[in-house]
Amino acid sequence: MVHTTVVGSYPRIGDTPEEQILRRGIARLDKGEIDEAALKSLEREVVQAVLREQNEAGIEVVTDGQISWYDSQSHLAGKLASVEINGLARYFDTNTYYRQPVVRGPVSWKAPILLDEWTFAQSHSKSPVKAVLTGPVTLASLALDKHYHSKKALALDLAAAVAEEVDALVRAGATQVQIDEPILTRHPEDLALVAETLERIRARKGKSDLILFTYFGDVARILPDLIDAPADLVGLDLVQGAGTWSALAKHGSEKPLILGLIDARNTKEEESAGVAKKVQELGGSIDLKASYLSPSNGLEFLPRDRARRKLRILRTVADEVGVAG
Amino acid sequence: MKALLTTSVGSFPKPEYLSRARTKSSRGDLSKEALRELEEKATAEWIQFQEDIGIDILVDGEQYRGDMATYFAENIEGTEISGLVRSYGNRYYKKPIITDELRLRGPISVDWFKFAQAHTDRPVKGMITGPYTMMDWSFDEYYGSRADACLAFAKLLHEEARALEAAGAKVVQVDEPALSTRFDELPLLVKAVGIVTKGLQANTVLHTCYGNYNDIFAYFNKLPVDQLDLEMSNSGLDLLDRFKREPLKKEIAFGVIDVHSHVIEPEALIRERIEKALTIFSPTQLFIDPDCGLKTRSLEEAQAKLRNMVAATRAVRTAHGWT
Ligand SMILES: [Zn+2]
Repeated sequence: MVHTTVVGSYPRIGDTPEEQILRRGIARLDKGEIDEAALKSLEREVVQAVLREQNEAGIEVVTDGQISWYDSQSHLAGKLASVEINGLARYFDTNTYYRQPVVRGPVSWKAPILLDEWTFAQSHSKSPVKAVLTGPVTLASLALDKHYHSKKALALDLAAAVAEEVDALVRAGATQVQIDEPILTRHPEDLALVAETLERIRARKGKSDLILFTYFGDVARILPDLIDAPADLVGLDLVQGAGTWSALAKHGSEKPLILGLIDARNTKEEESAGVAKKVQELGGSIDLKASYLSPSNGLEFLPRDRARRKLRILRTVADEVGVAG
Repeated sequence: MKALLTTSVGSFPKPEYLSRARTKSSRGDLSKEALRELEEKATAEWIQFQEDIGIDILVDGEQYRGDMATYFAENIEGTEISGLVRSYGNRYYKKPIITDELRLRGPISVDWFKFAQAHTDRPVKGMITGPYTMMDWSFDEYYGSRADACLAFAKLLHEEARALEAAGAKVVQVDEPALSTRFDELPLLVKAVGIVTKGLQANTVLHTCYGNYNDIFAYFNKLPVDQLDLEMSNSGLDLLDRFKREPLKKEIAFGVIDVHSHVIEPEALIRERIEKALTIFSPTQLFIDPDCGLKTRSLEEAQAKLRNMVAATRAVRTAHGWT
């Protein structure tokens, strides 16, 4: 029986008034009508709802939906020493934007960033909550570097900071820690640098499982080396990165994988039997029992009701793979 | 000599009374007719403002639009509108979902063009959300291929462009903010925009913004329009050197106003930007406008920015003896 998980983000608002408390809360905070503490409690209400929705869909390893993240870059980088946050930049090929971190000096970790969020989520979840962090090479690539003038030097310092955070999360009880490196789908030549940063993070992972996830495209050309990277599991986008399928069928994998095969960027619903069949065909070349099925990337690019439906499709596919397997 | 004609990219902020009316209308507390009346009032006010300050080529200000892709999709058969998705921070929008073959129900923006044009003797731009952006900003449950969806939009939008022209539009602008999303799809964009503009007598414009222009530069001369409308003040002034080496064989509307900043650019700064542009482009090739739509600014900010833009342009014309 193959396992199920998600990648990270989840839509923070839906179409009903109850699903829009966070949007209204942020607007009220901006007007000075509520304080940060009140906003925090609204965020936590939404996190609980997001955990409930994943739970009801039967997802085995969940996330907090990154509900308090302004975006994938500034939430982490903005809390490190010597990093300022600048204007908006387009996030990969999505029609979404991130506030660009500007590196003004040597980067270092100051205090836990995700620890409180993760601890809260885990204490309200029956299933394990995966800690998800943007990887140092993606952070370095999307930031504006005014200090190092070297992506590698910046990425290695960012890796040291990410490793500190991972250490804090693992000490608090995180059993799965995921490092997202979508930049590898654009710059496969960065794989050696990703591997080097992962070595540093791995040294602080304790007993947790360390996951490397790539999305927004395929990694066919680097797949065997990617699977050999110093991580316990490797996550792949097999929708936008459909090109990875054939490389995967050809090379297989000794290491358990997370197969991102439910389209998290389009509302069109997958036909579960067809997807299950494709997964079963991989059965000979990868260890399905130790692997996971997931959406292709974070679910926040979909409307909330569609994200819920995608989770149900994911569950159905996993069940169909299991019965026949 | 017609030198340094001034224009705008498209959207203007909505006056307070219209924003309130839109909220009421979305709750069902205001009739469509009552809302339309206020949209017309706001449009007429913006036309009057542009005439008063002396802009040469006008826009209707898009007072009747929410999102630029959703507005077009709502008027195209074969689409639904999705629930909210996040753009960034606390901003959300609804995306079109293509659920069936796309078909035009009738003209989309022609009524508003006619309304605006009837209020002025100066040319008003016809405004079309481009086929590539319509595709990139929609979910596709029908075509299954980005190219097919994009070209299907292009065919319909060509009909819309023809209808605008038949209604008297002397300028038709195609908005493609998604242009720089995927460089490998630029040939598709060129093909799709070419379908939209094919055979038009009107002056055709392509607007884009906030992209990495260096990567798309090679395509500028291939874009099948008469004029490029580019955001220049926010990030593009450094592109001028490249234009010096690789001349643009089209007109250019040169953005001199940062639409994301509250700061009202002083006249002197705008003059400087125009003079810089004049070192590369001829005064008849060069049009002056803001970087992008001004809808995210307050009404007062937008008007102050436009006033300074026109005053600076006049000063440059006078200094060069172009009147
Ligand atoms: Zn624009």
